[in-house]
Amino acid sequence: MVVEIGSGLIAVGAGLAVGLAGLGSGLAEGPIGAAGVGAIAENPKMFGRSITMVVIPETIVIFGLVMAILLWIKM
Amino acid sequence: MLLPDKMTKILIVGSKTRIKETIDILYSLEALQLIDFSSEEEGFTLGTPLPVASQASQRLLKLRAAEKELEVVDKTLTEKVLLSKIEDEVDDVLITLEAEITGAVESKSSILNRIHELDASKKALEPFTALPLDMDQYKGYQNLTVFTGTVRNDPTAEMKGALDRYELFTSVDAKFVAVFVAKSEAAEAQRVLMQQGFAEITAPIGNGNPADSIKAIESELEALASSLAEASEKINLLRKKYETFILASEEHLSIVVEKAEFPLRIGSTEHSFLIDGWVPQKSLAKVQQALQSQLGDDVHLEALEVAPRKEHIHPEEARAGVSEAHIIETPPTKASVKKPVNMFSFLTELISTPTYGEIDPTIILAIVFPLFFGLMVGDVGYGVPFILLGALGLRKCKSDEWRTISTMLFFGGIWATTFGLFLFGEAFGMHFGPVWIVEPGQTLAQLKLQYPYGTELSWSSMTSMQLPSLGVLSKLHDVKLLLYISLWIGFAHLFLGFSIGVYNETVRHGFKHAFFHKVGWIMILVGGAFMLLFVVDLLILNKPVGLDDLRAMIGLGLIIPGVVISLVGEGPQAILELPTLLSNVISYTRLAAIGMSKAGMALAFNMMAIQMIAPEGGVLIIAAILVFMVGHLMIFILAVIAAGIHGIRLHYVEQFQKFYIGGGLKFDPLKVVRKYTTERGEKNGS
Repeated sequence: MVVEIGSGLIAVGAGLAVGLAGLGSGLAEGPIGAAGVGAIAENPKMFGRSITMVVIPETIVIFGLVMAILLWIKM
Repeated sequence: MLLPDKMTKILIVGSKTRIKETIDILYSLEALQLIDFSSEEEGFTLGTPLPVASQASQRLLKLRAAEKELEVVDKTLTEKVLLSKIEDEVDDVLITLEAEITGAVESKSSILNRIHELDASKKALEPFTALPLDMDQYKGYQNLTVFTGTVRNDPTAEMKGALDRYELFTSVDAKFVAVFVAKSEAAEAQRVLMQQGFAEITAPIGNGNPADSIKAIESELEALASSLAEASEKINLLRKKYETFILASEEHLSIVVEKAEFPLRIGSTEHSFLIDGWVPQKSLAKVQQALQSQLGDDVHLEALEVAPRKEHIHPEEARAGVSEAHIIETPPTKASVKKPVNMFSFLTELISTPTYGEIDPTIILAIVFPLFFGLMVGDVGYGVPFILLGALGLRKCKSDEWRTISTMLFFGGIWATTFGLFLFGEAFGMHFGPVWIVEPGQTLAQLKLQYPYGTELSWSSMTSMQLPSLGVLSKLHDVKLLLYISLWIGFAHLFLGFSIGVYNETVRHGFKHAFFHKVGWIMILVGGAFMLLFVVDLLILNKPVGLDDLRAMIGLGLIIPGVVISLVGEGPQAILELPTLLSNVISYTRLAAIGMSKAGMALAFNMMAIQMIAPEGGVLIIAAILVFMVGHLMIFILAVIAAGIHGIRLHYVEQFQKFYIGGGLKFDPLKVVRKYTTERGEKNGS
């Protein structure tokens, strides 16, 4: 399978976009999740609030995903 | 219908002579949630417990003591105990129980004590068996000091150098020593011993050979073990004999005490009592009628008002004369959903109980969650086992958590099977579809058009049968289309969320509030949907469209006023929320992505098993089957976790944020739960 260098680079770029954004989200979500689990352990009613807090950084990975999809479409 | 049941606040006033009957009636109706009396009201004090309380409490105390001593645990009884039997027998049983238990428990504990003693002296004697001395030889000297204990190093050489008048005994391994030394040299001996890591073990008082003593102790221990078994057996027998009665009467007496102490929660004067509480509007007539028919004019029920759904009072309304009483108490939430919808209520409760003035989101969860689950799994091969597993779980499981998971598997499995058959047409990651066989008068291109996956590994190619092509989409071939569809599902789901938000806000705060807080967002969302159509043409399909495109104009025409309305309603925060809404919509692409990842994994395992290993033949066929089974089992388990968690998360995070407030009080009426006892039509006797 012969692939042009250009589309290969686009593919790498898309991978980086979603991968690095995911890494960033993960780094941000980890401590929030840990704190959230702690809060739930003390008071199970905190579940709803914790889950909302945990997913806040997820916006980042979703933007990464958007970039990846846009790049992928350009391939 | 979708809102929780309407609640009426009632006041029951009556003569103190009829308080017991009133309590019994209220408990049996299971329709009143009591508002605990706060003793601030003038002229009223807290009530006093009914006379029966103290006697019942005493019995309960004894029963619980017996329960603890006999180690009775909760269990399911084959037959419930009659209340009249408990009433008749409880005192006699308590007396016999006390006598029998005390005897049995005391003899057991004295045996246990003796065993501990013997164990201790056995342990003390054990080191001394290493030396050839009798126990009485360690004690009773006037001019000698005796050191006994363990050492780290053999002290023989050092002692020879430092001491004159002594005798040293060492065990075979030189770890345990006994030194008999003249009193004058005792200090020196101790110093030498300490240098060798001496730790003293005092010789226990006794006589004779320690090994013989240990033998005697062991034989006594043996005898004790058998009598301990006997005593335990006796207690076991007692437990078996009285277990049912103890459980049943404990339950019954707890109920009696709870009812007897009920007056402590209500207001009373010298001759009357006052009960404040919430009753579901539809049960009001039942309560009224029951009190009227059984107690006549001695007790009076006054329905104060139906609790309003509105949350707080607007200044304008206050001026218009709405009373302050509205905001004092929050009415409890009694969900109006029925089976099978309420099988999902655990998932709502996990977040929070809905408040009195909002739609119970359980109904959305019950409909959409299994749908999402099915869409993400979308495979007959996993769908059918999910249904079976779910049905089994619903039959066997008792706890809320497992029942909810089983419910999800059952209903999700039904959708997974449906989508697997008619949308994706696949089982275990393989399409059913026909293989390409070019017949005369047909070209490959025509075949390709009819069914694009003809060269792939499919059930047809594997079984050499031409199965029909079910399904219209393929998870791995139509990725872009599936992602696009999932965005539209996102729009629809969020639109539903905002619409419920509008309704809830209107109910709770009036339409003006709803308009500024929710309608603006709906406009932004719908405008966004138009923009999506536009953006797809512009960026992806590369059509020559400009900003004069109708869709772009409608889109912007909705978004801009929407943002303005939200800005007025929520302040600058609304601008910050805009990217969140965008990410919410895109978040729904996980619906396609998870299905895709399952299909990808399944493809990998299928290729390994069917195309790479199995054709080798022989023993490798077994290996191929193993790879196939383990691989698909893994995907199956991952499907529960991924599809389940992501399906519920799209509700919790994306949708519920748009309308759900929660934090309501669950309706918890006065009632008695009898697990072990039955009234069998009789009135509660005590």
